[in-house]
Amino acid sequence: MKVVFAILFFISCLSCESQSKINIAAEKKMVKVKGGKFKTFYVSKTDKPLLVEPFLMDECAVTNKEFLEFVKANPAWSKSKVKRLFADSNYLKHWKSDFEIGESNKNIYNSPVVNVSWFAAIAYCNWKNKRLPNLAEWEIAGNAPPQNIQYTSITDYIMKWYEKPSLPVLPNVKTTYCNTYGLYDMHGLIWEWTFDFNSFISTSDSRNTSNNDNNLFCAGASINVTNREDYAAFLRYGFRGSLRGNYCISSLGFRCVKDLPSNKL
Amino acid sequence: MKIKKNIFILLAFIAAAFGISCKSNGTASAADEKVTGEEIAELSYAPMVPKPITRNHPTHVIVNLNIVERVMKLADSTDYMFWTFGGAVPGQFIRVREGDEVQINLANLAANKLSHSIDLHAVSGPGGGAEASNVAPGQTSTFHFKALNPGLYVYHCATAPVPMHIANGMYGLIYVQPKEALPKVDREYYIMQSEFYTKGNFGLKGLQEFDEQKGINEQPNYVVFNGSVNANAGKNALPANVNETVRLFVGNGGPNLVSSFHVIGEIFDKVYLEGGEMVNRNFGTTLIPSGGAAIVEMKMDIPGVYNIVDHSIFRTFNKGCLAQIKVKGGRDTLIFRKN
Repeated sequence: MKVVFAILFFISCLSCESQSKINIAAEKKMVKVKGGKFKTFYVSKTDKPLLVEPFLMDECAVTNKEFLEFVKANPAWSKSKVKRLFADSNYLKHWKSDFEIGESNKNIYNSPVVNVSWFAAIAYCNWKNKRLPNLAEWEIAGNAPPQNIQYTSITDYIMKWYEKPSLPVLPNVKTTYCNTYGLYDMHGLIWEWTFDFNSFISTSDSRNTSNNDNNLFCAGASINVTNREDYAAFLRYGFRGSLRGNYCISSLGFRCVKDLPSNKL
Repeated sequence: MKIKKNIFILLAFIAAAFGISCKSNGTASAADEKVTGEEIAELSYAPMVPKPITRNHPTHVIVNLNIVERVMKLADSTDYMFWTFGGAVPGQFIRVREGDEVQINLANLAANKLSHSIDLHAVSGPGGGAEASNVAPGQTSTFHFKALNPGLYVYHCATAPVPMHIANGMYGLIYVQPKEALPKVDREYYIMQSEFYTKGNFGLKGLQEFDEQKGINEQPNYVVFNGSVNANAGKNALPANVNETVRLFVGNGGPNLVSSFHVIGEIFDKVYLEGGEMVNRNFGTTLIPSGGAAIVEMKMDIPGVYNIVDHSIFRTFNKGCLAQIKVKGGRDTLIFRKN
């Protein structure tokens, strides 16, 4: 037990490595996210915040190389074997074959794996003895400010990502920014799956006023969402609202989280 | 008693006759016409309009629309990341016939970053199709609606945040041609006004970012016809000849401003107000609400260049709101001459 704590202490003490150095160890580094009270950006002031326990999170998204190991160990998740119910026809479409990313794709070995479904992401996390972050955990982690780039606001940074056309080759992990938790690329590289991606929105017409989503519609006038921070959140929530568990999208990947052992005590 | 009975029969007969006549005039009949056949809708890019539909029956129409996020010109040296229906701003023009059963296939290209949807004002149904059509990148959504009401309607994206999706270019027009088509004219064009909110001022070079605060303040840097400054002016002016009647299908995508639509040097012979059935004649400026439309007709009497403007005129002189019709032909000096 002591050893575990020592490791945890070690992990939590580490801050970001120098940005240029890409070091993806065999066992992916996880960092501690403090947790705390979380409110979605569109709720009213009377809504109670959600209490999020501290947790560990992969410092960067799962890469093609890492996902390949998973597929090799679990052939049911290879391109040709996977059930359509669990992954649509775009599943790993950028890979050469079942167990090859492909020689021509070697510059994406350390890029986030994309074209993976929610089911596949969960299977990967389970295999690693981890789990997908829930929406509140992901948002808390993602809202931490960058520590190694010049920026005016995190939202401006995110908006710039939308305004750039997609790159023909997805950059490697740890190529955008590192936030104060030591988490890389929370914005500006890919979208990431959350466990409860579709929990907040029961309708995808964002102007619907017949349910809780009306705060989303009234955003312009709502006190909670008059700052620019929230416009990017809008897009993120809107994106999640259009997903289904078997969708595989070329800008959507994931990272895993894990409960802190102390949470279980 | 007998008289009473006769009166009753007479009343019943009148009521029945009324019912029939209402049916033949109202929209209910559109639902009654038999739908036969199937076709893929011909879509057009502004300033062109798909050719008039000559069918005398409704059909099953398939509309294939692609959503494309791409950088294009907003002005000569100014670029902008547009979100589009069909790869252009405004989006592709859809023309169907009253009573048609329309199938919308909305494909969100895999290279796109965001989710999108479509709300067609021509749809009777929740969200105008927005809820049914919300679609993630790389996916295609499909929904069906029956074109019950004829007229010219705006369509637009309705995914959160809606104002931003519209501000980035996601709108177009759908024309539900009435069973009795409008009289044939010489030329039909598609013009859509809209505004853009950029961080940099009007004309600033390079890729411009969306400015949310300017959107909230309703203070655009750009107000344009057909998606960019001078899209249909100068060498891209809309051609016509003297004595031709020009019909403009005009939309206003907004997201904020109401248009005081005017053609300098011409008088509207006919305007189907707000794209509906009511016709007004012989006037100079028509109001087109944000998210609204109008069908405007005018006979071009005199050769020359006719400026199409928003008569909230600073928008024309300082923000780019100008299109042109270039009319060629002989001059009738009884109508217009110098001295």
